[in-house]
Amino acid sequence: MTTPDRISGSLLDLLKQHHVQLPGSSHMEGTATVSPEIQATTILAFHYKEGVLVAGDRRATAGNRIMANRVEKVLEIDGSSVLAISGSPAQAIEMARILDHSFRYYRRSQLDELSLEGRLRLLAQLLKDNLPMAMNGVGGVVPLFITMDPESGGPHIYFYDILGAHFEGTPFAVGGSGSLEVQGVLRFLDRWGSSDGLSSMGKKEAIVLSLRLLETASYFDSATGGIQERDRIYPVIKLVTREGIETVSEGFIRELMEREVQGV
Amino acid sequence: MFDEPYRWVDAINQRRDYIEDQLKRSSPVIAVSVEEGILLVSFYRRTPKLFELYDRMAMGSIGHPADLEAIRMSLINTAHVEGFTRSSKDVSIRRLVMFNLSPKLKTAFEDVMSSPLIFRGVIVEAGVFPKDDQFIEVDFDGQVSPVTMSSVISSSEEVSDRVKKMLPSTIMAVGDALPLIIDSCFAGNFDVTDIGLDSEGKIVDEAMYREQKEKFIKERVLDIQLVDRFRGVMKPLSMP
Repeated sequence: MTTPDRISGSLLDLLKQHHVQLPGSSHMEGTATVSPEIQATTILAFHYKEGVLVAGDRRATAGNRIMANRVEKVLEIDGSSVLAISGSPAQAIEMARILDHSFRYYRRSQLDELSLEGRLRLLAQLLKDNLPMAMNGVGGVVPLFITMDPESGGPHIYFYDILGAHFEGTPFAVGGSGSLEVQGVLRFLDRWGSSDGLSSMGKKEAIVLSLRLLETASYFDSATGGIQERDRIYPVIKLVTREGIETVSEGFIRELMEREVQGV
Repeated sequence: MFDEPYRWVDAINQRRDYIEDQLKRSSPVIAVSVEEGILLVSFYRRTPKLFELYDRMAMGSIGHPADLEAIRMSLINTAHVEGFTRSSKDVSIRRLVMFNLSPKLKTAFEDVMSSPLIFRGVIVEAGVFPKDDQFIEVDFDGQVSPVTMSSVISSSEEVSDRVKKMLPSTIMAVGDALPLIIDSCFAGNFDVTDIGLDSEGKIVDEAMYREQKEKFIKERVLDIQLVDRFRGVMKPLSMP
């Protein structure tokens, strides 16, 4: 039985020992002459009364072409965090997989949860390692990361740039090509909305707002899928609270769509 | 020194006696299928004996803490590399035990020139339904024994058989099964007559039983873990 490396708790180190190729580990040579890369998106997250709502549309595009309409861009990580992805799905989904496995590996090997700073830093490192791909015009990822803070016990929103710099989004953060419209509306509602800021909204109110925001983004941004009622394609909405992560059911989204988005 | 076969066999036998002797002081570990998943229960003084290995998988073991740690890490590393490079669905305790743990234990046991691994344990995997739950008992010499519904890991076969008779015989909810399992785990630490039980495990001296149990629990940590078949993670439970 070989002596285990008990101190690190790093899945990345373990995978490197086993010669597993990781995103960003193969740097592209020359300039990008490949076909337009698949991209996505409008993603958004904001604080509401009980926690944080995270939502994303389902469309992935390559140039003017719609490549897929059922992409999941709001991904659960180890049952306690959510990664909302914009940019290249190939790299972003792989990053989500690494984060999920890394958090679990750390917990199981070190018999403790990875700290908030450790989680933020790991995603920053993945983005930094991915920079050569992003600079070549393929594989750029700009995510939102929502995770629990063990000290406060509540969820926090962080947004990242392509280099891995991260900042806390209070009370909201947005990402993707359709985010400009959404960002303006969220700021307006938080400052002058009828309720006492976004953070005072109830669960149903928050879900309705997220649906209306995604519909607004899709009105101006062709890379955002919005809500495609005819094909029964609905956004993914997750609620991160002290009790855990809840995925809003398609049935409930459909009901709210009919009553609160299209019916008004 | 080991140039003649009988000397090697003699050394192996001495080694077996030595390990069995080391395991004699161990308090049992119990794993039982319940409606919600697989329940693992143990008492310990200094270091825990129940560990999560991977999604739906856990290990309960007795032995030397340093050896348990080496085995635990080896299984965790193998499971995570496999789960990352392929899929979490490709990780199974059958493969972990048959292709990783068992050969390593056998090699370590038979290499009489190095120190042995003092280990006895059960690796469990929670299925979608209780009938799909898997238990594989593994001994220090690499022997594996798949069992169904429950497993008792203890210092001897006699203790394991006795404790097993006290465990639930049907699939129960956690709340109903837990008191029975805790009592069984406690009883596995003593000769039955020392704690007021008869040979069937029934209480014959209530006062003695209660006094011994309270004293025992006070001196140790009761570790209760549930491998949740719905969420796939291992989570601690508190005493009922």
